Amino acid sequence: MDDVMSRDLISDLPQSIIESILTRLPIRDAVRTSILSSKWRYKWATLTQLVFDEKCVILSNDRCKVEDGLVNFITRTLFLHQGPIHKFQLTTTHLQCCPDIDQWLLFLSRNDIKELVLELGEGEWFRVPSCLFNCKKLTRLDLFRCEFDPPPTFKGFLCLKSLNLHQVLVSPEAIESLISGCPLLESLALSYFDSLALTIRAPNLKFLCLEGEFKDICLENTPLLVAMSVAMYMTDDIAEHFEQSSTCNFNRFLGGVPRLERLIGHIYFTKFLSIGDDLGRLPITYAHLKLVELNQVSFEDMKEILVVLRLITNSPNLRELQISGSSNTLAAIDAPDLDFWEDECPSNCTFKQLRVVRMTDMSGVPHEMEFIKFLLANSPALETMSISPCVYVMDGRLNMLIELLRFRRASAQAEILFIQD
Amino acid sequence: MPCWICSQMMKSYIWLQTADGSIQQVEQEVAMFCPMICHEVIQKGMGSSKNYAISLPQRVNPAMLSLILDYCRFHQVPGRSNKERKSFDEKFIRMDTKRLCELTSAADSLQLKPLVDLTSRALARIIEGKSPEEIREIFHLPDDLTEEEKLEPLKNTTDDPRIRLLNRLYAKKRKELKERQKLKNIEVEEERVDDRSVDDLLSFINGDNGDSKGIKNSKSKKKNRRRKDQQKNASANEAIKNHNKEPNGLNQVCHSAEVGQKVRPGVGATSNLHDVEDDIFDNKNELDDVDIDDEIDPALKEKIDSILYSFYAMLEEVCIYSPNDLSFYLLFREVEDFARRLNSDWPERMQEILSFGHERKPVHFSLNGNGSLRRYASMLLSFFYY
Repeated sequence: MDDVMSRDLISDLPQSIIESILTRLPIRDAVRTSILSSKWRYKWATLTQLVFDEKCVILSNDRCKVEDGLVNFITRTLFLHQGPIHKFQLTTTHLQCCPDIDQWLLFLSRNDIKELVLELGEGEWFRVPSCLFNCKKLTRLDLFRCEFDPPPTFKGFLCLKSLNLHQVLVSPEAIESLISGCPLLESLALSYFDSLALTIRAPNLKFLCLEGEFKDICLENTPLLVAMSVAMYMTDDIAEHFEQSSTCNFNRFLGGVPRLERLIGHIYFTKFLSIGDDLGRLPITYAHLKLVELNQVSFEDMKEILVVLRLITNSPNLRELQISGSSNTLAAIDAPDLDFWEDECPSNCTFKQLRVVRMTDMSGVPHEMEFIKFLLANSPALETMSISPCVYVMDGRLNMLIELLRFRRASAQAEILFIQD
Repeated sequence: MPCWICSQMMKSYIWLQTADGSIQQVEQEVAMFCPMICHEVIQKGMGSSKNYAISLPQRVNPAMLSLILDYCRFHQVPGRSNKERKSFDEKFIRMDTKRLCELTSAADSLQLKPLVDLTSRALARIIEGKSPEEIREIFHLPDDLTEEEKLEPLKNTTDDPRIRLLNRLYAKKRKELKERQKLKNIEVEEERVDDRSVDDLLSFINGDNGDSKGIKNSKSKKKNRRRKDQQKNASANEAIKNHNKEPNGLNQVCHSAEVGQKVRPGVGATSNLHDVEDDIFDNKNELDDVDIDDEIDPALKEKIDSILYSFYAMLEEVCIYSPNDLSFYLLFREVEDFARRLNSDWPERMQEILSFGHERKPVHFSLNGNGSLRRYASMLLSFFYY
């Protein structure tokens, strides 16, 4: 008998490696290892990461059956589990408001939970129980489609580093005090809020992701911010509110982020920044800003163009720029004020590090072309400039190309790519 | 950094010694990619020469060291893109499972986390989606859990006293079975009393002439001998009869014979009835499962045995050890339930058992329950696999 061949290959590896392997398996497969052999009976039971989703149960058309099956599986697993649970993740479209979830959260709150991700289904949103606020060791909290109502005595999660609230019903005061009450917060994501006015005070914040209808955002204390991505939707109310406002949004939002490296804006973000009085030259320089992506910039609005210019002229180390336009050729009735480019642009501005520029959804309106001309003339290190025309513009393409040919290029190796659909 | 490292103008090497005694030198930047080696060099000043070679942990044999160094040699180069690294990793990880496990162990002892993560991922991919049998096959795992243990996840959550009792009895009977097996190996063939042929037994089961008569006779015999248990038997039999759903259960289930029906009268040998019974009642010997066993698949037989033995144990416990009404009744509920789970293949059998159950003799019988037993076993197991 060949003893070497039939020797157990794996059971005697250190528990840390076994857990490393079991953590990479879907939870069902991990629990099933308990019937492999006597040594494997409880190897899974001390896993500190439990990730549940609909793959845990056999899918069928009977929704109730799937729900019950999932609830049973999770309850059984938690019941058989031993030791601390550091990460609990539940992603499901079937469960919404279910009393079992309350029980699981209570169980987890007693087991040193550190990372909690609850992604629940549509329907009646799950109201987060108070035991969640007792999870002192929480470092990550992701809630999707829940109601979040901290008790008055709640001061914050002192260890929380990452917060992600997506479609969460919560009062603006509660969010603000939550953010302020988490001194270690490094990553914040808020999505699908309605008319939220928010002031963010988070001294350790590095990553910010906002999406929704924001009436107002002010970054009051975020000196360490490294990357941000903002998608702002606009309603008529908010637009009105903006009309009346005179404070400089650009400054309130980007005035206190000297360490910024990546900035991504969508939809009405550039418009938001353009509101308020223009301060002229900015007091701060974005020395670390390497990537700027601004989408849906309206090149008929001089103020929006000004925002873009202010931003890139104060970023000496900018390497990559991506702008998508949302100009309406029909609306551009007035003769464009081309003197603007002479007046507003600093004459000695050079983008020494700019390598890649992408202009998308270009309609060929005069200001768009001027902008491209400006970039080409002032980017000695440029490697690629790619231009994609807007799908609705068919006739103007030839004119665009003719103009492009004339532009002087500061960089000898710059390639201009005109990307047709 | 100690200056003797910085001052090297030529390419410097680190000396490593594996557990088998062999020593080799490795380029410094490659070796230092391993945290454990790095620690030894910097903190303890080891590895600078052959005499001061760093002793690597036992789990790192020369073959594994070679693999690990290949990994380090590639990854320690700073300029590589993520795509390149991923591509290398994918190719690197292609090896047989045995080597993969050894490599994981070796990388772990050198604290080379990226490689441990890579191998763990590969091992997880191997395990994912496979059945327990396949996994045992790949990793040479012993299948050493009892049926009871395999069902344990259910046990914890279904706080069912019946299942608990069953499991306890399983475990006990399993132990006894092992002991009997040992005895069997020592004992001689003449222990065998019942050498009815397969066909005989088959026809017996399928309700030949001798059958009912034989049963009746034995029962009446019983009545004479054990008066005190009459009542119980009667009530028990009734209870069973009420639940006797499928009168043809036996026929459906066993198309192979039962063996060791010592208490059953011999087939077609009514004249010998008395003798046979006397033999049995004389409590001659402990009889083991024999002959027909050969026909049954050993794995299945084991499953059947364990269930049957627990069955027997239940009866034994109640009838012999605590023959009071309450426990007998409780046992009855167990047995009923068991019968129901086995799709009522048991009622008639149980009837006999109970008639003779308090006989101080192990009643061994095997049943090839191809149909229902497998169904039952698979039903329980599917509970878990669902």
